[in-house]
Amino acid sequence: MAVRHDRKVSILDVMGPVMVGPSSSHTAGTARLGRVARELLDEDPLAVHFYLHPPLAATYRGHGSDFALVGGSIGLNVDDPRIPEAIRIAEQMGVEIEFSEEDLGDVHPNTVRIEIEGKKREAEIIGSSIGGGVIEVFQLNGFQTRFKGDSPTLLLFYRDRPGMISEVTKTIAEEGINIASLYCSRKQRGKDAFMQIDVDSPISAEGLRRICATPDVAEAKYLDRIP
Amino acid sequence: MIESFAHLEQSAAGRDLADVFLETDEQEHGIPAAQILAALRKRREVMRDCIERGKNGGQSMGKLVGNEAKLLDEAFRSGRTFLDPLTIKAEIYALSVMGENSRMGVIVAAPTAGAGGVVPGMLLALEEERHVDPEKTVRALVVAGGVGSIIALSANISGAAGGCQNEVGVAAAMGAAAVAYMMGGSPSDSIQAAALALKNTLGLVCDPVGGLVEVPCVKRNALFAVHGLTAAQLALAGVKSVIPMDEVVEAMVRIGRALPRGLKETAEGGLATTATGCAIGSRLKDEANQRRAERAAERERMAQERKAGTAP
Repeated sequence: MAVRHDRKVSILDVMGPVMVGPSSSHTAGTARLGRVARELLDEDPLAVHFYLHPPLAATYRGHGSDFALVGGSIGLNVDDPRIPEAIRIAEQMGVEIEFSEEDLGDVHPNTVRIEIEGKKREAEIIGSSIGGGVIEVFQLNGFQTRFKGDSPTLLLFYRDRPGMISEVTKTIAEEGINIASLYCSRKQRGKDAFMQIDVDSPISAEGLRRICATPDVAEAKYLDRIP
Repeated sequence: MIESFAHLEQSAAGRDLADVFLETDEQEHGIPAAQILAALRKRREVMRDCIERGKNGGQSMGKLVGNEAKLLDEAFRSGRTFLDPLTIKAEIYALSVMGENSRMGVIVAAPTAGAGGVVPGMLLALEEERHVDPEKTVRALVVAGGVGSIIALSANISGAAGGCQNEVGVAAAMGAAAVAYMMGGSPSDSIQAAALALKNTLGLVCDPVGGLVEVPCVKRNALFAVHGLTAAQLALAGVKSVIPMDEVVEAMVRIGRALPRGLKETAEGGLATTATGCAIGSRLKDEANQRRAERAAERERMAQERKAGTAP
């Protein structure tokens, strides 16, 4: 049987995480997906809308996925004992929460699309909770991607042009940082493009500033490992 | 990188299995062995705390389970049990963890929350009954995690992907390998134990009543903790699985694909659609609707209050 190198998980991922019950795919994984949306937004949300793929829509309530998704989206960790209270906490923060069902196509049963909105920004992800708390985000602000949240990651939004990848990776190399994987996609040739760079060690604030200064980079976002 | 159990058997021959997994993880994920061991020491503590709390029982979120650990613990302590203490403790501990899980308590997913009682049940009961050094248990958790990580290379570890075989079956295989390790078995014994445990869970469906991780999940964890112990016992006696572990995993993946969607966590088949299962399902739906209505009313009230507060 074919080995999926992209499915490599560490011992600590298998024997873990430490989490609030009752289901690693419905509680821990979904909380982490909510957390990815929150980190991408990078500010307190005002409104979050969760679009659940039909199999998840059928099972989410009994597993507390609603608490977990909301908990993650307001920044709680998977082992935070406040997760069972997350919806109440979000309401007290004045966050508008909505759940709907949406057929997200030929995807893992536990897949969700999250639209999150803050004062300054908004963000959108589509991702699956594939079991044991492991996640795969495959769409991010409209761009195809393959984000697992298991390593520090640099997300770049830029204008598609020749030389961009080499300029950015040169800066990263100069920072002494090793790239674990790199993934690019674009909406249209010469237009909006996206690069996901998983790195082996954290990028410094100065390194990030240098990357942001690369011509045609619209935005650079650095996410730590999603706990 | 270790890509298969055949590969593992080769590279681990004559070595300590935990050391092999720690080395691989350090190479693959850059996590130093000391850090993995430190984290697992903490997780063993979380498991122990969870077992202590869980023995006291208490109602689950869906009110379907909760006092199983307490009942068996009381029976055991008052001398009303007939099995040997190791078996009974494995059951009590697995039930304790799953009870806590069903109350949204803090647990360790091993490898999932719904199958999170099996490994701690087996390992912590064995540690206590056979006076195993707790540090050896921590290393056995490395073995359990390592076995799971090889399975995860070709299988999705979730009931939604392949039924309960992918959760409790995998947990029993991980636990069986770890127990063989704790009892002084060779790497090959651990792999055999995993194969025997997993092979005999194939086809196990995920049909949770009302979609909750309660029925049959809680009791199933106790029964499969014992199943895992038995598999380890057979392997340590030299019994071998005719079908090698890699092929057992392959069979699991194929069976998981062949299972209808209704038997993969959707609560649309099996126990979930028995007369009793359906009745419980509709009661839960009614209660959820009522809670939603109450929350909406509460939101409305809060909005009114805010309005009244900001009015001139």
